[in-house]
Amino acid sequence: MNVLVLVEDDGDLSLQAVALAQTLGTTTAVRFDGTYAPAAWARDLAGRGWDALVGPGSDRGNEVLAHVAAQLDLPFAANVIEVRGDEVTRQRWGGTLLEEARVHAERKVFTSAPFAFAPAAELPHVESVTPELGDAVRVAEHLAPDTGGKVSLADAKVVVSGGRGVASSEGFAIIEELAALLEGAVGCSRVVTSAGWRPHTDQVGQTGTKVSPDLYIACGISGATQHIAGCKGAKKLLAINADPEATIFAHADYAVIGDLHEIVPAISAELRKARRT
Amino acid sequence: MRAAKPTERFDDIPRRVKNEATIVLGQKKLLQRLLPGVMHALIFWGFLVLFPTIVMAMIAAVNREWSLPWLGSQGWFMALVDVFILCVLAGIALAVWIRKILRPARFDGSHLGEADLILGMIALVVLTLLGWHAARIAAGLNEWPASASFLSNALSNVIPAPRISERVFDWAHVLVILSFLVYLPYSKHLHIATAAVNVFFSRTRRRGRLEPLRFDLPDEELRLGVGTIGDLTWKEMVDSLSCTECGRCQDVCPAYATGKELSPKLVIMGIRDQLFAEGPNLLAGGELSPIVGNGVPEEMVWDCVTCGACVHECPVSIEHIDHIVDLRRDLVMMKSSFPQEAESMLRDVERVGNPWGKPQGDRASWAADLGVRVLEEGEEPPEVLYWVGCAAAYDERAREAAESTAKLLQHAGVDFAILGAREACTGDPARRMGNEYVFQAYAAQNVATLNEASVTKIVASCPHCLNSLANEYPDFGGRYEVMHHTQLLAELLREGRLAPVAGDEEITYHDSCYLARHNDVREEPRELVSAVGRPVEMPRNGKRTFCCGAGGAHMWMEERGAPINEERVREAAETGAETLAVACPFCTVMLDDGVRASGRQLRVVDVSTLLAERL
Repeated sequence: MNVLVLVEDDGDLSLQAVALAQTLGTTTAVRFDGTYAPAAWARDLAGRGWDALVGPGSDRGNEVLAHVAAQLDLPFAANVIEVRGDEVTRQRWGGTLLEEARVHAERKVFTSAPFAFAPAAELPHVESVTPELGDAVRVAEHLAPDTGGKVSLADAKVVVSGGRGVASSEGFAIIEELAALLEGAVGCSRVVTSAGWRPHTDQVGQTGTKVSPDLYIACGISGATQHIAGCKGAKKLLAINADPEATIFAHADYAVIGDLHEIVPAISAELRKARRT
Repeated sequence: MRAAKPTERFDDIPRRVKNEATIVLGQKKLLQRLLPGVMHALIFWGFLVLFPTIVMAMIAAVNREWSLPWLGSQGWFMALVDVFILCVLAGIALAVWIRKILRPARFDGSHLGEADLILGMIALVVLTLLGWHAARIAAGLNEWPASASFLSNALSNVIPAPRISERVFDWAHVLVILSFLVYLPYSKHLHIATAAVNVFFSRTRRRGRLEPLRFDLPDEELRLGVGTIGDLTWKEMVDSLSCTECGRCQDVCPAYATGKELSPKLVIMGIRDQLFAEGPNLLAGGELSPIVGNGVPEEMVWDCVTCGACVHECPVSIEHIDHIVDLRRDLVMMKSSFPQEAESMLRDVERVGNPWGKPQGDRASWAADLGVRVLEEGEEPPEVLYWVGCAAAYDERAREAAESTAKLLQHAGVDFAILGAREACTGDPARRMGNEYVFQAYAAQNVATLNEASVTKIVASCPHCLNSLANEYPDFGGRYEVMHHTQLLAELLREGRLAPVAGDEEITYHDSCYLARHNDVREEPRELVSAVGRPVEMPRNGKRTFCCGAGGAHMWMEERGAPINEERVREAAETGAETLAVACPFCTVMLDDGVRASGRQLRVVDVSTLLAERL
């Protein structure tokens, strides 16, 4: 069988695709240069003679091969972990489910599921191609979301979060101050966004942002399951709450029982003092 | 209808006949609201009796000497006709009063002019009939004793040129009816033809059940929800054709009541309008446009809490939840388009078997110190399996109910066990979000676990779990006797195995939609409340309860508009009770949040905990 394999680089995913390809037959490889343009890459691949086309189980590999399959009206089996003639076993639903499927076509289009195959020792001969882009959609530029120069909540190493205990929109001044001193981001619980004290983009929790900072400081947050779902990835959790019964303490590494309006400014003052000396 | 998708609605014929008798002939659901119910019943029953007179008028239009044999000469029938003419006129007067003076908000978005035209036509139908009968008596053409027709007889004295008037009224009557018949298919009055059919084919049992999708069908027959009108089942089509735009659904909808986009009425009207607009295209096999974004705005689809208030209220048995979930199924499974914040719930249910992504190994940790038996593989099944549910297993506030229930069962000496880490999410939130695939995977897994363990009787704390286990798992081979913890506890109370100390604290009980409406459990929780305190009812209770805001996977979505939970807490607080009793873990969390947000002094607590505190 004449097998063509799409490679992106010499990384693991590409080498795993090569490994799958080599189990199927004589393998040649192709790599595309220039801007990412899935439809154009696919047009090039579709125009070549092959019995099986294999790609890496990466976002790009799956997208390009889906285009090929659509252009040639062939079935496409993504994230394959095993091939037995016409039958394949492949991952579905993020790997929670294995599906046994039969491929009803002479020409096969597969991507290899990530880390399902031991990577090939080396790449076969790779043909480098700069495809004709034509009118194909291409990716011109990747833009990171504008965070206004602040650390984004999802990436922050420190998150200082306020809950109902903060009591008002103005109350967040002390939270912002502490966050700035720690070069962290400000977060909040759902109550806060519902009350309109902070925008929804600041919300940490089940229906907000999931954060995984080194330190999460929860100020005046009771610790509902819906909130914990958003900050359970934190390495350390410091809880400040006036209610000793608050469930947040069950999840906390450090606990301060007391009024956040006194404690948070005190921490900020200590930090400033320590920085000056 | 020829191009509609199949659905199984031909079972359980006796109950369907019974529904026809009570809901159509008896006007049961209409009479849930007194004034408009009486209005409709007067007109409806009136026309049942008046129907033969229409035939008589048509016969007489051809030859004035002819009439219906026998019935046309019966005095008692003509007396009845006069009575029901009055009834219909009274009905119309009531309707005009409701529409023009009371103007209830439920009509917002309905075709009001159309309704006026229809009422006018109905009035004309009976007025011409009355005139015709009076003229017939005046002309001496009556085959029946004139004295029987007390009204027509009295009027006959004022009829000018009786023989001509008789012709005029007869023809006017027939023409009004014929024009009405022509107008019918273009108006919401089509319900007089479709409503009875729709009621017949409505759900009979297991009302909380959603119809499962079949993934094993060949591509041509595969139906993954509703994207275009080509995906509608025939029941869904009849639903949309039966809507009278009365707006009762809108009136009881918690989403609508709190200022959200959704009106169940507008969903059904939107589907109907698109069905009419694109029906010819569907039959011709042409391109169809998506329903969401055209007939039905996307926000509406996601605002629904699947509480079922609309379905319960609808006089013609439209099943709004089926429509909304089918639209969601298409959005989630075909277009991957859904509120982004719900993604982590869907992913966590799929990946780890609970909506918060907690470790499966922690599932039984709430019970660690209570000495609750965890049923291990291969062990003898207990008399009752306690299905804890994710919320009670993982959420600190909901957990209290599980602890109380376990203590009560131990106290009463019930042989029970939990599945521990072998229990997984029933799949309910995924299913109500529209992810049928994940739901069915969990249904299969849980049914396998329960069947292998030879479980026959289950008690569940969570009404949503209960609904899946009792109403939906039978579709996947799981048949168990399933009861809610309040049902089992009430049984133990009646048997004297639990004897709580009575109290005089005022307690108001909040009915969970999935318990009170979808599964008819209303009395048992109240028995328990009465055993420990003085019950006070909220205005919206029992079958007509108001949602806490968490249903239909809304526990994991952001809410637009005013919060539903705070609206419910306001209602609870206005009863003056200090305690708000609940029987669902999601109601517990939602209403407790509502209490905190509104700063009211109310204790939100599960019925089981109230009981356990007073042993």
